[in-house]
Amino acid sequence: MFATQLKYDLLMFSREIFYMVFTIIVPPMTYLFMGQLFGDAMYAGNLSYAETYTPSFILLITFGVIFFAFGFDQVMNRTTGVEKRINLSPVSKRTLLVSNILRSIIITSFGYFLVFFIGMIAYDLSFQPFNFIFAFVTFIGFNAALLVISSAIYSLFTSMNGALVFSIVIFQVVMFTGGFTMPIDMMPKFVQVIADFNPLYHMNQLFIAVWNGQFQIDNSTLQSIGFIIGCVLVSLFVLRFLNKARK
Amino acid sequence: MEIIQVSNLQKAYGENQVLRGIDFKAQAGEIIGVIGKNGAGKSTFLEILMTLKPYDNGNVLLFNKELTDLSTGQLEDTRKDISVVLQPTHFYKTLKVVELLKLFKAYYNSQVPIEQIITDFNLQPHRKKYFDKLSGGWKQIVSLAIAFLSEPKMLILDEPTTGLDPHMRNLLWTYITEYNKRTGGTVILTTHNMDEVELYCNKVMLLNEGINEVFDTIEGILSTGYKSINDFYLSKVSI
Ligand SMILES: Nc1ncnc2c1ncn2[C@@H]1O[C@H](COP(=O)(O)OP(=O)(O)OP(=O)(O)O)[C@@H](O)[C@H]1O
Ligand SMILES: [Mg+2]
Repeated sequence: MFATQLKYDLLMFSREIFYMVFTIIVPPMTYLFMGQLFGDAMYAGNLSYAETYTPSFILLITFGVIFFAFGFDQVMNRTTGVEKRINLSPVSKRTLLVSNILRSIIITSFGYFLVFFIGMIAYDLSFQPFNFIFAFVTFIGFNAALLVISSAIYSLFTSMNGALVFSIVIFQVVMFTGGFTMPIDMMPKFVQVIADFNPLYHMNQLFIAVWNGQFQIDNSTLQSIGFIIGCVLVSLFVLRFLNKARK
Repeated sequence: MEIIQVSNLQKAYGENQVLRGIDFKAQAGEIIGVIGKNGAGKSTFLEILMTLKPYDNGNVLLFNKELTDLSTGQLEDTRKDISVVLQPTHFYKTLKVVELLKLFKAYYNSQVPIEQIITDFNLQPHRKKYFDKLSGGWKQIVSLAIAFLSEPKMLILDEPTTGLDPHMRNLLWTYITEYNKRTGGTVILTTHNMDEVELYCNKVMLLNEGINEVFDTIEGILSTGYKSINDFYLSKVSI
């Protein structure tokens, strides 16, 4: 039963144009396109375009997949009544949840390798086994954190339109204040302030450091890690509270 | 054997007291029609029996077990014995008919061959269509086909024949009565078509003002002087 569920979950993702566009079409293309424009520039930490933006775009895809195909999808199933019908079938909630989580991680991993592959071909990105493994482990950790955060946020929605508008707006906000387009220190002050409250900004900073073997424990990385853990804890609390309230 | 036993069932949505004390019983093998005007609370009642909705007061025993005492795991087990059609019905909209059948076959761990269900319900021309793109009636038929994938102890159908053309309606009733005879399964359904009730049901429950105003066999009702169940409904229920 689990294999069947996962197979159809993946199939449904591939048929949802909206998910595909925001996750594995637009971000990789933007990565390729921006590289044509800024490929020769150098970035903070003496890093090249590929060294900075490869991890960033992997993270952006991860965010897109988890917020749309995991979070928004839940709201859609809940509000259209699909969830009600599925609940009546003898399939356990756990099977559905695990399949959904696995689907997200499979797609984000696909995004990971896709961007990495584009980077290797187009921008001479090098492959360093140790960094690669450490980066992948970090990536899985971010997957887990984002799954929890998106679950909590989307469980607050009771209408699909509300959730859709929110998703599109939050995608823009995250793009611009997460350091996915221009470096944050080149942005106006208010963007920098928002960035401090954007967990994706912190993940992005950490991920770039890990990716390039520049990660070290200092004040700023501890702050970033602390902020992300804080967001996850608040989300867990929200989920627990809502679960109780629904009963 | 008693499959369902309901006593003094009460349910409100906020201030709106929909069910005000329902008493109801279903024996194995019965086909029971629940009737009442729009908004009387039929769907609410059925969804409580489906284990979907919580209730405020009273007892609901399914297969001799009180619903509120069951753990999540036990509820999931109970649901294996029940097949449903919801009003209205929704499935994953980006799956095709044949894919939905396969998915639900896996859920129910069903032995019924998909091709047989497709043939029986005339779904051949629609098998490759997305559920979302089907007409209302065909959505209903797919929903019924899925309900018959398993061999449940009980079928709960909320307006299963609404939106079906006369042939499909006949086909559905053939399916229901055949299932009922072969497996001895219980069928509870709502409908606004009184002729169907008279033709196919053993018993009728009339839901009015939140209570089971009448709960009797078809013969019992007709023997009190009504020409038909339609006649009975019209004289019992005011607009
Ligand atoms: N989820 C809900 N929240 C609030 N009120 C509800 C909800 N579901 C139903 N109601 C109300 O409960 C009453 C009974 O509704 P229900 O759907 O059970 O009627 P019904 O007998 O099935 O009607 P119909 O013949 O039109 O299908 C109605 O007044 C309806 O507005
Ligand atoms: Mg109804």
